[in-house]
Amino acid sequence: MNETHPSIERIVDYLYRELPPEDDAAVHAHLASCRSCDERRAEELSLTELLRAHANATERELPLRVVAGIRSAVEHPPQSLWERLNAALRPIVLVPVAAAVAVALYIGYDAWHRAAVPTAIDAGYYVNSHAVMAAAAPFGDAAPPMVLTSDNESR
Amino acid sequence: MDQRAFLEHAIEQYGKATYNFAFRLTRNEADAADLTQEAFIRVYRAWQSFKPGTSFLSWIYRIVTNLHRDELRRRKGRFFQEEIPEQAVQPIEEYVDAQLSEPVSRALADLAPGQRTIVELADIDGCSYQEIGQIVGCSVGTVRSRLHRARGQLRKLVKEYMKLTS
Repeated sequence: MNETHPSIERIVDYLYRELPPEDDAAVHAHLASCRSCDERRAEELSLTELLRAHANATERELPLRVVAGIRSAVEHPPQSLWERLNAALRPIVLVPVAAAVAVALYIGYDAWHRAAVPTAIDAGYYVNSHAVMAAAAPFGDAAPPMVLTSDNESR
Repeated sequence: MDQRAFLEHAIEQYGKATYNFAFRLTRNEADAADLTQEAFIRVYRAWQSFKPGTSFLSWIYRIVTNLHRDELRRRKGRFFQEEIPEQAVQPIEEYVDAQLSEPVSRALADLAPGQRTIVELADIDGCSYQEIGQIVGCSVGTVRSRLHRARGQLRKLVKEYMKLTS
Protein backbone atom coordinates (compact mmCIF):
# COMPACT_ATOMS: atom_id res chain seq x y z
CA MET A 1 0.00 0.00 0.00
CA ASN A 2 1.08 3.51 -0.76
CA GLU A 3 1.76 5.27 2.55
CA THR A 4 -0.16 8.35 1.57
CA HIS A 5 -2.88 6.97 -0.75
CA PRO A 6 -4.66 3.67 -0.23
CA SER A 7 -4.50 1.19 -3.10
CA ILE A 8 -7.59 0.55 -5.21
CA GLU A 9 -7.85 -2.88 -3.56
CA ARG A 10 -7.91 -1.24 -0.17
CA ILE A 11 -10.59 1.17 -1.29
CA VAL A 12 -12.66 -1.75 -2.60
CA ASP A 13 -12.17 -3.63 0.69
CA TYR A 14 -13.29 -0.47 2.46
CA LEU A 15 -16.45 -0.32 0.32
CA TYR A 16 -17.19 -3.96 1.11
CA ARG A 17 -16.54 -3.27 4.81
CA GLU A 18 -13.88 -5.93 4.90
CA LEU A 19 -11.13 -3.91 6.55
CA PRO A 20 -10.27 -4.31 10.22
CA PRO A 21 -11.71 -1.42 12.29
CA GLU A 22 -8.46 0.54 12.62
CA ASP A 23 -7.71 0.27 8.86
CA ASP A 24 -11.28 1.17 8.05
CA ALA A 25 -11.02 4.30 10.16
CA ALA A 26 -7.70 5.24 8.54
CA VAL A 27 -9.07 4.86 4.99
CA HIS A 28 -12.23 6.70 5.97
CA ALA A 29 -10.18 9.62 7.30
CA HIS A 30 -7.99 9.64 4.19
CA LEU A 31 -10.96 9.67 1.81
CA ALA A 32 -12.44 12.59 3.68
CA SER A 33 -9.34 14.64 3.02
CA CYS A 34 -8.19 13.34 -0.41
CA ARG A 35 -10.27 14.31 -3.40
CA SER A 36 -8.57 12.00 -5.92
CA CYS A 37 -8.95 8.95 -3.67
CA ASP A 38 -12.56 9.85 -2.97
CA GLU A 39 -13.18 10.01 -6.72
CA ARG A 40 -11.76 6.51 -7.09
CA ARG A 41 -14.02 5.37 -4.27
CA ALA A 42 -17.00 6.97 -6.05
CA GLU A 43 -16.03 5.24 -9.29
CA GLU A 44 -15.88 1.86 -7.54
CA LEU A 45 -19.17 2.54 -5.83
CA SER A 46 -20.80 3.42 -9.16
CA LEU A 47 -19.68 0.05 -10.54
CA THR A 48 -21.40 -1.67 -7.63
CA GLU A 49 -24.51 0.43 -8.20
CA LEU A 50 -24.50 -0.48 -11.90
CA LEU A 51 -24.32 -4.16 -11.02
CA ARG A 52 -27.19 -3.83 -8.54
CA ALA A 53 -29.31 -1.88 -11.02
CA HIS A 54 -28.64 -4.56 -13.63
CA ALA A 55 -29.59 -7.29 -11.15
CA ASN A 56 -32.82 -5.47 -10.22
CA ALA A 57 -33.69 -4.96 -13.87
CA THR A 58 -33.18 -8.60 -14.70
CA GLU A 59 -34.59 -10.09 -11.50
CA ARG A 60 -37.00 -12.97 -12.01
CA GLU A 61 -39.85 -14.33 -9.98
CA LEU A 62 -39.58 -17.90 -8.79
CA PRO A 63 -41.74 -19.90 -11.22
CA LEU A 64 -44.73 -21.59 -9.54
CA ARG A 65 -43.91 -24.84 -11.29
CA VAL A 66 -40.61 -24.95 -9.39
CA VAL A 67 -42.44 -24.64 -6.06
CA ALA A 68 -44.93 -27.29 -7.20
CA GLY A 69 -42.05 -29.54 -8.24
CA ILE A 70 -40.36 -29.20 -4.85
CA ARG A 71 -43.59 -29.98 -2.98
CA SER A 72 -44.34 -32.93 -5.20
CA ALA A 73 -40.83 -34.33 -4.78
CA VAL A 74 -40.95 -34.18 -0.98
CA GLU A 75 -44.47 -35.60 -0.84
CA HIS A 76 -43.71 -38.47 -3.22
CA PRO A 77 -40.01 -39.22 -2.85
CA PRO A 78 -38.59 -41.25 -5.73
CA GLN A 79 -37.85 -44.93 -5.12
CA SER A 80 -34.29 -45.97 -4.44
CA LEU A 81 -32.32 -47.82 -7.12
CA TRP A 82 -32.88 -51.14 -5.33
CA GLU A 83 -36.60 -50.51 -5.05
CA ARG A 84 -36.87 -49.63 -8.73
CA LEU A 85 -34.79 -52.65 -9.72
CA ASN A 86 -36.84 -54.88 -7.48
CA ALA A 87 -40.07 -53.59 -8.94
CA ALA A 88 -38.82 -54.01 -12.49
CA LEU A 89 -37.50 -57.52 -11.92
CA ARG A 90 -40.39 -58.77 -9.83
CA PRO A 91 -42.49 -60.27 -12.66
CA ILE A 92 -39.39 -61.68 -14.36
CA VAL A 93 -38.21 -63.36 -11.17
CA LEU A 94 -41.48 -64.21 -9.50
CA VAL A 95 -43.14 -66.09 -12.38
CA PRO A 96 -40.33 -68.68 -12.85
CA VAL A 97 -39.85 -68.95 -9.07
CA ALA A 98 -43.55 -69.56 -8.58
CA ALA A 99 -43.52 -72.17 -11.34
CA ALA A 100 -40.47 -73.90 -9.83
CA VAL A 101 -42.07 -73.90 -6.38
CA ALA A 102 -45.28 -75.38 -7.82
CA VAL A 103 -43.37 -78.16 -9.60
CA ALA A 104 -41.28 -78.87 -6.49
CA LEU A 105 -44.39 -79.03 -4.35
CA TYR A 106 -46.07 -81.36 -6.77
CA ILE A 107 -43.07 -83.69 -6.99
CA GLY A 108 -42.46 -83.54 -3.25
CA TYR A 109 -46.05 -84.27 -2.44
CA ASP A 110 -46.11 -87.17 -4.88
CA ALA A 111 -42.93 -88.66 -3.45
CA TRP A 112 -44.15 -88.19 0.09
CA HIS A 113 -47.45 -89.70 -0.79
CA ARG A 114 -45.82 -92.79 -2.29
CA ALA A 115 -43.54 -93.24 0.71
CA ALA A 116 -46.26 -92.66 3.26
CA VAL A 117 -48.67 -95.27 1.85
CA PRO A 118 -46.82 -98.59 1.50
CA THR A 119 -47.88 -100.70 -1.36
CA ALA A 120 -50.14 -103.41 -0.20
CA ILE A 121 -48.81 -106.80 -1.18
CA ASP A 122 -51.06 -109.70 -1.35
CA ALA A 123 -49.32 -112.47 0.60
CA GLY A 124 -50.85 -115.21 -1.50
CA TYR A 125 -49.66 -113.58 -4.72
CA TYR A 126 -46.17 -113.11 -3.26
CA VAL A 127 -45.81 -116.69 -2.18
CA ASN A 128 -47.15 -117.99 -5.46
CA SER A 129 -45.01 -115.71 -7.55
CA HIS A 130 -41.93 -116.41 -5.48
CA ALA A 131 -42.51 -120.12 -5.64
CA VAL A 132 -42.85 -119.93 -9.42
CA MET A 133 -39.64 -117.92 -9.72
CA ALA A 134 -37.78 -120.19 -7.35
CA ALA A 135 -38.90 -123.21 -9.27
CA ALA A 136 -37.85 -121.64 -12.57
CA ALA A 137 -34.41 -120.62 -11.30
CA PRO A 138 -33.56 -122.45 -8.11
CA PHE A 139 -30.17 -120.77 -7.81
CA GLY A 140 -31.25 -117.29 -8.82
CA ASP A 141 -31.44 -114.29 -6.54
CA ALA A 142 -35.09 -114.76 -6.00
CA ALA A 143 -34.64 -118.34 -4.79
CA PRO A 144 -34.85 -119.01 -1.08
CA PRO A 145 -31.61 -119.83 0.72
CA MET A 146 -30.54 -123.35 0.19
CA VAL A 147 -31.20 -125.51 3.17
CA LEU A 148 -30.15 -129.09 3.12
CA THR A 149 -32.83 -131.44 4.20
CA SER A 150 -30.25 -133.68 5.81
CA ASP A 151 -29.17 -130.79 8.04
CA ASN A 152 -32.69 -130.35 9.29
CA GLU A 153 -33.02 -133.97 9.79
CA SER A 154 -29.76 -134.26 11.75
CA ARG A 155 -31.00 -131.56 14.16
CA MET B 1 -40.65 -26.03 13.49
CA ASP B 2 -41.04 -29.32 11.66
CA GLN B 3 -39.34 -30.40 8.45
CA ARG B 4 -42.17 -29.37 6.14
CA ALA B 5 -42.66 -25.98 7.81
CA PHE B 6 -38.91 -25.39 7.55
CA LEU B 7 -39.07 -26.06 3.82
CA GLU B 8 -42.07 -23.81 3.24
CA HIS B 9 -40.45 -21.00 5.19
CA ALA B 10 -37.22 -21.41 3.22
CA ILE B 11 -39.06 -21.31 -0.13
CA GLU B 12 -41.01 -18.23 0.88
CA GLN B 13 -38.01 -16.35 2.21
CA TYR B 14 -35.23 -17.45 -0.12
CA GLY B 15 -36.85 -19.07 -3.14
CA LYS B 16 -36.64 -16.03 -5.38
CA ALA B 17 -33.06 -15.17 -4.40
CA THR B 18 -31.99 -18.78 -4.91
CA TYR B 19 -33.65 -18.95 -8.30
CA ASN B 20 -32.00 -15.70 -9.39
CA PHE B 21 -28.63 -16.96 -8.15
CA ALA B 22 -29.14 -20.19 -10.09
CA PHE B 23 -30.14 -18.21 -13.15
CA ARG B 24 -27.02 -16.07 -12.92
CA LEU B 25 -24.94 -19.25 -12.74
CA THR B 26 -26.64 -21.04 -15.61
CA ARG B 27 -28.15 -18.11 -17.60
CA ASN B 28 -30.83 -20.53 -18.58
CA GLU B 29 -34.35 -20.72 -17.14
CA ALA B 30 -34.78 -24.48 -17.40
CA ASP B 31 -31.45 -25.23 -15.73
CA ALA B 32 -32.05 -22.57 -13.08
CA ALA B 33 -35.44 -24.12 -12.30
CA ASP B 34 -33.90 -27.61 -12.04
CA LEU B 35 -31.07 -26.39 -9.82
CA THR B 36 -33.44 -24.48 -7.54
CA GLN B 37 -35.77 -27.44 -7.22
CA GLU B 38 -32.98 -29.88 -6.44
CA ALA B 39 -31.39 -27.45 -3.96
CA PHE B 40 -34.61 -27.13 -1.96
CA ILE B 41 -35.11 -30.89 -1.99
CA ARG B 42 -31.60 -31.22 -0.50
CA VAL B 43 -32.48 -28.56 2.06
CA TYR B 44 -35.58 -30.57 2.99
CA ARG B 45 -33.60 -33.77 3.42
CA ALA B 46 -30.75 -32.15 5.34
CA TRP B 47 -32.78 -29.62 7.28
CA GLN B 48 -31.45 -30.79 10.64
CA SER B 49 -27.89 -30.06 9.58
CA PHE B 50 -28.67 -26.35 9.26
CA LYS B 51 -27.31 -24.48 12.26
CA PRO B 52 -29.60 -21.70 13.46
CA GLY B 53 -27.78 -18.39 13.58
CA THR B 54 -25.79 -19.10 10.42
CA SER B 55 -26.67 -17.71 7.00
CA PHE B 56 -29.30 -19.81 5.28
CA LEU B 57 -28.57 -18.02 2.00
CA SER B 58 -24.90 -19.01 2.15
CA TRP B 59 -25.95 -22.60 2.82
CA ILE B 60 -28.36 -22.87 -0.06
CA TYR B 61 -26.06 -20.96 -2.42
CA ARG B 62 -23.34 -23.45 -1.61
CA ILE B 63 -25.73 -26.30 -2.38
CA VAL B 64 -26.64 -24.66 -5.70
CA THR B 65 -22.97 -24.06 -6.55
CA ASN B 66 -22.08 -27.69 -5.82
CA LEU B 67 -25.03 -29.00 -7.81
CA HIS B 68 -24.05 -26.77 -10.70
CA ARG B 69 -20.47 -28.04 -10.62
CA ASP B 70 -21.67 -31.65 -10.54
CA GLU B 71 -23.93 -30.96 -13.48
CA LEU B 72 -21.12 -29.36 -15.46
CA ARG B 73 -18.89 -32.31 -14.73
CA ARG B 74 -21.61 -34.72 -15.78
CA ARG B 75 -22.34 -32.87 -19.00
CA LYS B 76 -18.85 -32.09 -20.15
CA GLY B 77 -16.63 -34.36 -18.14
CA ARG B 78 -14.50 -31.40 -17.13
CA PHE B 79 -14.42 -29.43 -13.92
CA PHE B 80 -15.62 -25.85 -13.94
CA GLN B 81 -16.23 -25.63 -17.63
CA GLU B 82 -19.01 -23.17 -18.01
CA GLU B 83 -19.39 -21.74 -21.47
CA ILE B 84 -22.85 -20.33 -22.01
CA PRO B 85 -24.47 -20.95 -25.35
CA GLU B 86 -25.40 -17.72 -27.08
CA GLN B 87 -29.05 -18.65 -27.47
CA ALA B 88 -29.35 -19.22 -23.71
CA VAL B 89 -28.69 -15.54 -22.95
CA GLN B 90 -31.88 -13.67 -22.20
CA PRO B 91 -33.18 -11.34 -24.89
CA ILE B 92 -32.32 -7.71 -24.39
CA GLU B 93 -35.96 -6.62 -24.40
CA GLU B 94 -36.33 -8.21 -20.99
CA TYR B 95 -34.22 -5.51 -19.46
CA VAL B 96 -36.13 -2.70 -17.90
CA ASP B 97 -33.34 -0.28 -18.59
CA ALA B 98 -31.61 -1.61 -21.65
CA GLN B 99 -29.22 1.29 -22.00
CA LEU B 100 -27.96 0.72 -18.49
CA SER B 101 -28.07 -3.04 -18.38
CA GLU B 102 -26.70 -4.04 -21.73
CA PRO B 103 -23.09 -2.93 -21.19
CA VAL B 104 -23.11 -4.50 -17.71
CA SER B 105 -24.66 -7.69 -19.03
CA ARG B 106 -22.09 -7.97 -21.81
CA ALA B 107 -19.23 -7.13 -19.48
CA LEU B 108 -20.38 -9.78 -16.98
CA ALA B 109 -20.69 -12.33 -19.76
CA ASP B 110 -17.08 -11.64 -20.74
CA LEU B 111 -15.77 -12.46 -17.28
CA ALA B 112 -14.54 -15.93 -16.43
CA PRO B 113 -17.41 -17.85 -14.74
CA GLY B 114 -15.62 -18.08 -11.40
CA GLN B 115 -14.90 -14.35 -11.37
CA ARG B 116 -18.43 -13.45 -12.39
CA THR B 117 -19.92 -15.50 -9.58
CA ILE B 118 -17.70 -13.83 -7.00
CA VAL B 119 -18.53 -10.32 -8.25
CA GLU B 120 -22.25 -11.10 -8.26
CA LEU B 121 -22.14 -12.59 -4.77
CA ALA B 122 -20.28 -9.56 -3.44
CA ASP B 123 -22.14 -6.78 -5.23
CA ILE B 124 -25.61 -8.15 -5.88
CA ASP B 125 -26.12 -10.49 -2.94
CA GLY B 126 -24.00 -8.46 -0.55
CA CYS B 127 -22.12 -11.49 0.75
CA SER B 128 -18.99 -11.04 2.84
CA TYR B 129 -15.66 -12.40 1.66
CA GLN B 130 -15.98 -15.21 4.18
CA GLU B 131 -19.47 -16.16 2.97
CA ILE B 132 -18.30 -16.09 -0.64
CA GLY B 133 -15.39 -18.35 0.30
CA GLN B 134 -17.83 -20.83 1.89
CA ILE B 135 -20.14 -20.74 -1.11
CA VAL B 136 -17.55 -21.20 -3.85
CA GLY B 137 -15.17 -23.29 -1.74
CA CYS B 138 -12.04 -21.18 -1.53
CA SER B 139 -10.14 -19.07 1.00
CA VAL B 140 -10.89 -15.45 1.88
CA GLY B 141 -7.54 -14.46 0.32
CA THR B 142 -8.51 -16.13 -2.96
CA VAL B 143 -11.90 -14.41 -2.88
CA ARG B 144 -10.25 -11.05 -2.36
CA SER B 145 -7.72 -11.46 -5.16
CA ARG B 146 -10.30 -12.85 -7.62
CA LEU B 147 -12.74 -10.11 -6.75
CA HIS B 148 -10.20 -7.35 -7.28
CA ARG B 149 -9.09 -8.82 -10.59
CA ALA B 150 -12.68 -9.27 -11.71
CA ARG B 151 -13.65 -5.73 -10.76
CA GLY B 152 -10.66 -4.36 -12.66
CA GLN B 153 -11.70 -6.22 -15.79
CA LEU B 154 -15.33 -5.35 -15.31
CA ARG B 155 -14.56 -1.66 -14.98
CA LYS B 156 -12.69 -1.68 -18.29
CA LEU B 157 -15.31 -3.75 -20.09
CA VAL B 158 -18.25 -1.67 -18.88
CA LYS B 159 -16.51 1.50 -20.06
CA GLU B 160 -15.84 -0.05 -23.48
CA TYR B 161 -19.40 -1.29 -23.93
CA MET B 162 -20.85 1.99 -22.70
CA LYS B 163 -18.86 3.83 -25.35
CA LEU B 164 -20.13 1.42 -27.98
CA THR B 165 -23.73 1.80 -26.79
CA SER B 166 -23.59 5.58 -26.74
